[in-house]
Order: sequence, then C-alpha cells, then structure tokens
Amino acid sequence: MSPVQKRIFINKLALIFSTLSAIIALAFLFWILGVLVMKGLSALNWNIFIYEGAPPGYEESGLKHALVGQLILVGMATGVGVPLGILAGTYLSEYGKNSKLANTIRDISDIMMSAPSIVIGAFVYAIVVLPMGHFSAWAGSIALGIIMIPIILRTTDDMLQLVPGTLREAAFALGAPKYKVILNVVYRGAKAGILTGVLLGVARVAGETAPLLFTSFNDNFFTTDLSQAMPSLTVTMFNYATSPYEDWQQLGWAAAFILSMFILGLNILGRLILLSTKKGK
Amino acid sequence: MASIIDIKGECALHVRNFDFTYKGATAPSLKKISMPIAKNSITALIGPSGCGKTTLLRSFNRMHDLYPGNKYEGEILFDGRNILDPKEDLIHLRTRIGMIFQKPTAFPMSIYDNVAYGLRLKGIKNKSELDGRVEKALQDAAIWKETQDRLKHDANGLSGGQQQRLCIARAIAVEPEVLLFDEPTSALDPISTQGIEKLVIELKEKVSIIIVTHNMQQAARVSDYTGFMYLGDLIELGYTEELFVTPKEKLTQEYITGKFG
Amino acid sequence: MIDKLFQNLTRISAFLILLIVAWIFVVLFNQSTEAMQTFGLDFLTKDEWAPNVDKFGAYAAIFGSVASTFLAMLLSIPIAIGVAIFLSEIAHPKIKGFFGVSVELLAAIPSVIYGMWGLFYFVPILRDLTGGMGIGLLAAGIVLAIMILPFMAAVTRDAMNTTPDILKESAYALGGTQWDVIKDVIIPYAKAGIIGSLILALGRAIGETMAVTFVMGNVHKVPTSILSPTTSIPVTLANEFTEADTSLYFSSLFGLALTLLIMSFVVIAVAKFYFLRKARRA
Repeated sequence: MSPVQKRIFINKLALIFSTLSAIIALAFLFWILGVLVMKGLSALNWNIFIYEGAPPGYEESGLKHALVGQLILVGMATGVGVPLGILAGTYLSEYGKNSKLANTIRDISDIMMSAPSIVIGAFVYAIVVLPMGHFSAWAGSIALGIIMIPIILRTTDDMLQLVPGTLREAAFALGAPKYKVILNVVYRGAKAGILTGVLLGVARVAGETAPLLFTSFNDNFFTTDLSQAMPSLTVTMFNYATSPYEDWQQLGWAAAFILSMFILGLNILGRLILLSTKKGK
Repeated sequence: MASIIDIKGECALHVRNFDFTYKGATAPSLKKISMPIAKNSITALIGPSGCGKTTLLRSFNRMHDLYPGNKYEGEILFDGRNILDPKEDLIHLRTRIGMIFQKPTAFPMSIYDNVAYGLRLKGIKNKSELDGRVEKALQDAAIWKETQDRLKHDANGLSGGQQQRLCIARAIAVEPEVLLFDEPTSALDPISTQGIEKLVIELKEKVSIIIVTHNMQQAARVSDYTGFMYLGDLIELGYTEELFVTPKEKLTQEYITGKFG
Repeated sequence: MIDKLFQNLTRISAFLILLIVAWIFVVLFNQSTEAMQTFGLDFLTKDEWAPNVDKFGAYAAIFGSVASTFLAMLLSIPIAIGVAIFLSEIAHPKIKGFFGVSVELLAAIPSVIYGMWGLFYFVPILRDLTGGMGIGLLAAGIVLAIMILPFMAAVTRDAMNTTPDILKESAYALGGTQWDVIKDVIIPYAKAGIIGSLILALGRAIGETMAVTFVMGNVHKVPTSILSPTTSIPVTLANEFTEADTSLYFSSLFGLALTLLIMSFVVIAVAKFYFLRKARRA
C-alpha cells in the first residue's frame, strides 16, 4: 500500500468509527426516549389529572397533587430566580462591565451553574428546614430559585452585551437617564434572548429532583399549603419508581413523560424564539 | 462578447465552457467561462466583489467539494484530463495544485512541522530528506533566515507577513505545478505585501500562478496576464500591460478607470 | 434618584450570588464541624459507615463517586468525541441539523429519567449478562456515561466548530483527507476547548444524583469488583438525609456534601479557568 492509499484507508476507518459511535450513542438515547414515550403514553389517562395520590392498588389514583405541586414550586422559584437573575445580569453588563468584581461574579456564577444540585438541597435544608422544624414548599422553591439565578444571570449578561453600544448612546443623547435607557432601550433590544434564557432556566429547574428530596420533600396528597411538605413530579417519580407496586411504577412513567414533554416543549419554544428574531434581522 | 487572447506559449490549465452553481442557487455563479492559463506565468483575476473570481479560483483545486451540493459543468483541462470529473483523485490533484489563502493559515504546530506537513502526507518519512526539503522550501519562500534557529517554535509566534511566507513555503514544499493565490496580501501591511509580491514573481520560474486580487495595482505589478470578471462572466483576458492601458471591452475600461466597484 | 436606586438594586442582586456561594460554604462547614471534630481526617480515609454505632467514614462514598465518574468518563469520552466529529465534520448538513438538535434536546431530559431507565431496562440486561445483582458500580458508570453523553458531545462539537474554515481548507489544499484534517488541524486547534468541555462534563457527572441513585446500590463498602454494589456521595445524601437521627449522623452527611461541593468546585474551576479561558484567548 502506498502511503497515500494507507492514509485513505485510515481515513475511512476513522470516519466509520465516528459514524458508528454516533449510531451507538443515538441508539441508546432513542432507546431511553422510546421507553419514556411508550411507557408514558400507555400510562396516561384522564384519572391522572383528576385524582391525587392513593395507596397502591386503588383505581382512583392520579398525579394531580404532584402536577399542581410542581407548578407551584417551579412557579415560585421562577418568581424569585428570574427577577434576581435579570437584575444581577443587568449589573454585570451595564454597570460592572469588565471590572474585576464583575468578572469574579461571572466566574462564580459559572461554577454555580454546574455545582451539584443536591448540595444546594442540603444547604437549604440547613437554613430553612431546620429552623422551621419541617419540610416546606418554601424550602423547595428557594432551592430551585438558587439554582436558577446563575442561569438567568449569565444569559441576561450575554444578551444585554449583544445590544449595540450605539443604541445606548443614541438614547443617552436624547437625555434619558441610565435606568430609562436600560429599561426602555436595552431590555427591549435583548427581549427575545432574555425570554429564551428564562425558558431554558425554567426547563432546567423543572427537571431537578435532588434539591427537592429534603426541602419540599413529598406528599401523596393534594396541598397548596406552602409551609408544609409539597409533592412534585420529580420526587413522586422517584418514590413511585422505587416502590415495588406496579401501578405506582406506571404512574411514575406517566409523570416522567409529562415532565419531559414540558421540558422539551420549553426548550423547543426557546429555540424557536431565538431563531425567529435572528431571521427577523 | 468576451474578448480572450490566445496564448502563444504552453498552457498549464484550460477552462472550457465552465459553469459553477452553488448549492441551492437557481442561477450559476460562473457562466460559460473559457480561458487558458499560461504556464510559468502569473495570471491575475480582478473584478468587483461578487464577480466570481474567488469561486473560479477555488474550482481549480476543487475546494468547493468540501461543501456538498455545489455543481460543476464544463471542463477544466489539466495535463490533458478534465479535473472536474467526479472520479478525479482530489488528494492527488491538490498536491499538484496548491493554494494560499486570504489570511495566513499557520497550523497549530511548529514552523518545521508546518512545512513538513504536506511532505509527510505524501509519505516522506526520511528525516534527512524532510530536513533538506523543508530548508529548501523556506529558502525559496525567503523566510529561511528568520526561522532557521527557531524551527521548533510554534508557527503562531511569527508575524502576519512571516506566517504568509510560511504558508507559501508549505505549499511549494510539495512541488506543485500550479499555485492558487486567493487575495494573499489582503490581511497584510504594505511592507509585507511588497515582500510577498516579489516572492510571487520569483516563484513563476517553477510554477504557474493564478492570483485573485481586489487590488488593481497589485495585478498590474505582478501579473503577465489579467482576466477581468463581472457578475459571473469573464469579460476580458489579455496581456496585463495591454489590458490596463488599452482594454478592448467597455466594461473593463469602466472598471479600471474607477467608474464602479 | 431613581437612577441610583435602580443601580443599587442591580448591584445588590449581583452581590447576592457571591453572598449565596459564601453562605453555602459557611453553612456546610458549620454543620459538618461536629463530624470533623469527632473523626478528624479519618472521616475522609475510613470506609466504615455505621449509623447504629455512630461511626462515619466517607471513604467508600468518595471512592464510589470518583470510580463511577471515572468509569463514565472512560466510556463516554471516545464516543462523545466520535459523535462530535460526526456532527461537525462528517454528517450531511441536513442530518447535522437534526442530530445536533436532538443531541441538545436529549441533554435537557431530566437525569431522574435516565436513572429510571437504568433501573427498569438496563440493570436486568446487565444482570443477565454478568450474573450478580446488576446494580453496582458498572451499572452506575454506564448510566452516568449515557446521561452525560449528549452534553459532552454537544460541547465538544462546539469546541471543534471554533476551528476556522480557512484553516481546515488549507490542510485539504495540501492533499489531506478528512481524518488528516481532524487529527492534525481541528483537534490541535481546539484542544484546550475540547479538554475544558470534557472536564466540565466530568464536573457535572461527579455531582449527579438521580441518574445513579437507582442503580448504585447504596452499600457503604469500597467495591471489590466492578460489579459490586457501592455508593457515592450524592447517592448517600439522597438516601440517608431524611433518615439521619443523631446529630453526628447529620453532621457527617453535611461533611459529605461539603466534600462533594469542594470536589466539583475544583474540577469545574480547572475546566473553566484554565482550559476554557485558554481556548477563548486562542
């Protein structure tokens, strides 16, 4: 074999290997996705949305408690995490800029974004659950909120920096004070990007289980009492899946399916928003 | 109708009725191009941006094949064969027709390894042969003096002009028959530009050169033949001194007198 | 007036993140002092974890975390690089878009679902293939590898995509094959970014709870074989936090949390500040 033929041969081999690894990876991932869809769809019925949790073996058992609990927990986390994240991102992009302090905050929040979420749960347990003496929805949403802040902060920072400086200057030239420039011009320019960041942030925390295990804990019944333990889809899924009862496991798959669709929906929506604004320009 | 001169000497390449269509485009970007490329001479391609001069240049070494979906029609003859043939051995073709890009493209490796890269691809492993050919290429590219004591240093430590010479050394090390230059000085300062131009002129003793440039003075300074392209057509190909003084086509005249572009 | 108010509001929010991080460290540290005072360094080096006699050594959990993460990296790195090469260099543009987006979407699927799949579908297969329980270090490593794969492939592909087209074209122009270009130009060019991305994935894997809790076994023993059930820090926390009944038990769990936080902090910081920063500068 000439050296060139040898290279061509190795090239083919390498390309086959990497195509093969792509196929292996996708096979596993589609296997998981397939299981999720098949199991989830077959377990899905109206009872799930009508009834709350019940002991194993009961016909009339559902996930209403967990669905509502999940919405409350994620909703409250969003209510805390989004404004704080956006304000902090605003500080970095509009006031801190490239100062040492701003860069330190960026670095720390980058690390926070990948920090183990179960540790956040332990932290919130110590500062909220211990003093209160019991698990609560408050604790769960604080944990989720803490996870959310760095995500929103970084996307806001990035998106605001994309707004051209000339736009700010033009607004300043009209005599607008800085906060008005930010609120009326900069935010408007970065609207789509921030919205996408928020959607992705919500999607990210909605799938978190670990930080809820010992903050909002779980409950098999419907509740809206924020000072008590609150069920969530993720923890319910965990408990049902590890239980020995087949009907509970079924419900666990249903919960997994609903949650995944919600999260994928948010991700796709976020991408579409970003895509449509890119096309607009 | 285009005005194309006949070349008296030997030709390196012959373009015949060449159409090129980018992926997804409805109309071809190059339309019925026919032109000879003289051997051991410099042919410059000029024209306003978007005229297709770079597209034509990148057809000679089939660079467009890296992006699927592009379409060639017609012929480009090289050594009696049509290099647009789908069965053409592109690896072999590209070692015979080298290319220099708009920006210096030093690979993330040492100066020596950059120049030796193409040789190694050809299968040359012998250390002393590599050493000899690397030195010769660096000398021919007029950069030996600056690099001989730091051959093992990262090539990205060189200045822009030096890097471009290094890329030329890398291209000539494999002894190609044709060299394609795609606006080789557009990222360089005037002094480096002067050096590269001088080098290009020296190189034509060994290789046939096609150079795309947006700078008419550069074409006038270095080339023997100049082709003027406009909107995908080759309008005129002539001796450089004639084309810039007494163009045969009205469009050429308007362009070189600065009426557009 | 309002201008100053708004500025301060944003500044306080930004400082809040620093405050929270510092607070997390302080709280975890305080909560774990009892365990640290009782056991000293033995906490990290002893593997006896016996709540009934109030003895707590984290070594098995630390070992399990490191071993499962190592195994996951070993399995996922070659595949992830293969997928990244496929996505950035080989796939037809149409496939590229479709596969690229599906990989990114798969990275968003909650990790608890990977764990459920592992428990119900993968562990039985592993049990049939290897004998034994199926649950254990190997199962955890594989499930973790699959979970981390989409993220890893996506970030590795992004790192590879930073290679300028013109640089790749120059290598093709010298007669290089696709693989020549990948190994001689793209990988050396994007090296820092690729390594950074892989380490970042490692940082995520080491703190991952839900994908492994189902399949690891929660047995506080240093595994004797790759098939033995064992535990990791997040698995121990997930299983035992609500069961702890003595203050020393609690304190030890907080000690585990602190250990995990420091481990992942270091890993992520190395990825971000050394490799990824170098990649951005290049």
